[in-house]
Amino acid sequence: MKPTGVIFFPAFDWAISPTHPEREERLLYTRDQLFEEGIMDMPEVREYHPRLATAKDVSRVHFCVPDVESRVTEAHMVSAGCAMVMADAFMQKEVKNAFAIIRPPGHHAMTVVHGNRGFCDINNEAVMVEYLRRTYGVRRLAIVDTDVHHGDGSQEIFWDDPDVLFISFHQDGRTLYPGSGFTNELGGPLAHGTTINIPMAPRTTDEGIHYIMDNLVLPMLDEFKPELVINSAGQDNHYSDPLANMSFTARGYAILNQKLRPDIAVLEGGYSVETALPYINMGIIMAMAGIDFSNLREPDYNPTRFKESAKNMDYIRSLVTHQLAAFREREKVVEANRKEGREYYGSSRGIFYDTEYLQEEQRLDLRMCPDCCGYRRISSSCVHHSGRSYSVFCISLPAACCPDCAARARQDYEDMKKKPGGDYLYLQDRIEDEYKTFETRTGRETTL
Amino acid sequence: MLIGIDVGGTYTDGVLFSEGSVLLSVKHPTEENDLEGTLLSVLDELLARAGRADVRRIVLSTTLVTNLLATGRGERTALLLLPGSGLPFSAYRISPDTYFLKGGIDFRGRQIEAPDAKEVEEVLKKVHDSGIDRVAVAGKFSNRNDAHERMVEDRARSLYPHMDVCTSNEIAGRLNFPRRAVTCYYTAMTMREWNRFADGIEAAIGARSPRSDVHILKADGGTTTLEASRKRPCETVFSGPAASTMGTMALSRESLNAVSVDIGGTTSDISLVIEGLPLYASKGALIGGHLTHINSFAVRSIPLGGDSRVYEESGELRVGPMRLGPAACLGGAEPTVTDAFNLLNGLGLGNADASREKLQAVAGRLGVSLEELCGKIADEVVDRLERNIEEMFGLWEDEPAYKVWEVVHRRKFELHRVIGIGAAAPAIIPMLAAKMGVEHFLHRYSPVANALGAAVARPTLAVEVHVDTGRRTYTGSPGGLKGTVEKRSFQLEDARELALDCLKEASRERGLADYAGEAHVYLEEQFNVIRGFTQEGKLFDVGVQIAPGFIHEYKGVA
Ligand SMILES: [Zn+2]
Ligand SMILES: [Zn+2]
Repeated sequence: MKPTGVIFFPAFDWAISPTHPEREERLLYTRDQLFEEGIMDMPEVREYHPRLATAKDVSRVHFCVPDVESRVTEAHMVSAGCAMVMADAFMQKEVKNAFAIIRPPGHHAMTVVHGNRGFCDINNEAVMVEYLRRTYGVRRLAIVDTDVHHGDGSQEIFWDDPDVLFISFHQDGRTLYPGSGFTNELGGPLAHGTTINIPMAPRTTDEGIHYIMDNLVLPMLDEFKPELVINSAGQDNHYSDPLANMSFTARGYAILNQKLRPDIAVLEGGYSVETALPYINMGIIMAMAGIDFSNLREPDYNPTRFKESAKNMDYIRSLVTHQLAAFREREKVVEANRKEGREYYGSSRGIFYDTEYLQEEQRLDLRMCPDCCGYRRISSSCVHHSGRSYSVFCISLPAACCPDCAARARQDYEDMKKKPGGDYLYLQDRIEDEYKTFETRTGRETTL
Repeated sequence: MLIGIDVGGTYTDGVLFSEGSVLLSVKHPTEENDLEGTLLSVLDELLARAGRADVRRIVLSTTLVTNLLATGRGERTALLLLPGSGLPFSAYRISPDTYFLKGGIDFRGRQIEAPDAKEVEEVLKKVHDSGIDRVAVAGKFSNRNDAHERMVEDRARSLYPHMDVCTSNEIAGRLNFPRRAVTCYYTAMTMREWNRFADGIEAAIGARSPRSDVHILKADGGTTTLEASRKRPCETVFSGPAASTMGTMALSRESLNAVSVDIGGTTSDISLVIEGLPLYASKGALIGGHLTHINSFAVRSIPLGGDSRVYEESGELRVGPMRLGPAACLGGAEPTVTDAFNLLNGLGLGNADASREKLQAVAGRLGVSLEELCGKIADEVVDRLERNIEEMFGLWEDEPAYKVWEVVHRRKFELHRVIGIGAAAPAIIPMLAAKMGVEHFLHRYSPVANALGAAVARPTLAVEVHVDTGRRTYTGSPGGLKGTVEKRSFQLEDARELALDCLKEASRERGLADYAGEAHVYLEEQFNVIRGFTQEGKLFDVGVQIAPGFIHEYKGVA
């Protein structure tokens, strides 16, 4: 039997600020627990060495304003690189599955990056997904986000991508950051139903979450048939987490992973550094490696402490029924949207960056392509932390882009170069794996 | 004068060394059932040559403990584990006589579950009733709080005073419970035999050369006094390869990146030297299939040596891994690697005509000329060594990293020289070095590098302290280290000072005080403990060590 790949990157020399939840101490006790258990010495586990993601790896997903080097910290580049190391280990069949225990996290980072959002600069899972597609020709994937916070970054990145089933369960957005992830957020017009949100009431327990796993998540995965399942493995649903209000246990997380059987798991949030993380991380490794975890428990674990209320179970049951129906309707809805015959589908919104208090204004136009999921044009403006204001225009080709969309997108880019409005113009050409930046002021173009 | 003796598996080598010269070297076959006798016969020859001159220091490297553990001849030893929450108990397949006890400690040394005195007594009775009188006790996170291990030890000592009891916190203070348990188990298993051997040696040397200090070479390439070794016999494992590596370093003496290749008859041992320091196995010595907390050099042994047989099979050239005897030029029946290099480089070893004749036969079967064959054999040998060396570089470069800085400044092994030892080294090493584009280094003392390495190696000692200012405690390695910190404003400098003080104290205890001043810091980590948005304390990990090196009077060889 092949081992489970593990990469442990605690970034012991990096913090957002000394007392921030994303500080050096976050994975210290996890280090102590993993090392003391000696789990990396076991034949069931193989430990890997981190590497840096390149600017090109990041540009496959993001438009970093003005560029990757000045926008993204080295810590985030290592974190994303670690996820890619796990992807390589898995695709090259060195391991049966893989777990990246890394920080900083990534699931709040969106396509356009003006700064840090929810502790994230870049989206580790998304960088890994586009790397998997580019390097190994993977097309269909599922991301199950088990962080207590809505994975709004991952949702936004894959919003218009019908080949990525993004499922997020999280504490209800009315009671927790980032305030999104409601049941009616189901994906873009050509990718409807491949974004599924499962907002849960505060204090939901193992029982409630496992009901959702068994009756909604696993059936959807069964029907979607992804080539790869990724767990965005946040650990802040734990009963002791200081930033949220759920009642999940370490054993609950281990059983979840036993059921989900993710090919690759990537740590996201989780800020109960002493009481939860050491035990949950152990539990996930053990579950993925097939090691019996019945002897694993938090110091204050009490099996009878949390009981799911009948009222919450009723809510969960109706939520599951509702979302399963929405998922099963997805092809019908997409077909109807296409039939409307619009050339572009436009939308506008504001995006708030909590870490640095930035407000971005964005307009997105999706081409309603009859042959593929369409390419995206995004115009975005934001006053950065430095006080400088940026307005940029971004063109993004999906990995499964049709030739017509590709030609139009490239033409759009050339046309825009001649009559530029903003500061920067970007082309994300995933077909050619070429990422262009055009600086309006100097007329300089760089290609990655 | 100095004496170094390396009791190896096949031969025992000894040197008498003074003022830069080997005055005498002695080589005897090792009598496996009488290591002490072999050792003393070598010692007697060396002492005879020394005459009336004072031999100040005698360093011994022996395979006693290695043999006991590798052959499974160690006495039955009970292992009492307190694993608490975590891995299933089935993960600990160490001793057939393993008992599990209640009790749990967490990573900050807080008690999670109390041990059960009644259960402890019941288990000790079972151990006693099954006729076992050696006991190892190991608890998870006992390096952060030794109370539970101590409690079991106290019960054992008061109920069964004849039992030998070892606790894991005393053996090793670093994280990794299974390795600590194994190391403790092996210590309990070999302590009595080692002490018997130490008694014998002490008496014998006391009678022969009463003014000599007796030291033992450890797996980490450093020495310890015979007295200090009594508590930690396991540190003496694998001291043979350590002796060789220290010997090559003693001869080459430069702070370079080097690879040392010890080419024996059937195998080649490869080790890396990084900026003048030999590379340790990152996970500790592997003994009897278990990883331990014993620092040992990372040595890769490959089945390729001077006596590896050269032959043809299904039209292909084969080199090794079998050895059927010595080289043809030295009277062997089959051609070997040495024969090929003998002809290729005109070494004039033994009977070159025999090399030619036997290799010609193989060349004929392969349909190539003798010169071509020799060239092919040399290429194969050099390629295989190079491949293994490159893999070792790769493994070193790919060690896990836990800091951004380490990943951004990714380490890269840049080789400066290849050091050869062993009989076949002069034939092979220059070609290997040329292929790798670096200089080579061979020395006339290479054949006795192991005994020389033992003779001039200095003591080593590593101390790691873990300070928790929130809990006002410190604990550390080597085991048994603990105390309280009072100062509220404890900083990294204080932790460093504490570690150095602990090292000084430990080196005094072990009779190594002369070298305490040479300790340097190799590990420094500090973490703020934040709860809510306020700081509750700090955690420090600081490591200081006297690294492997040479005694003060060693100034190189003349
Ligand atoms: Zn979160
Ligand atoms: Zn299209």
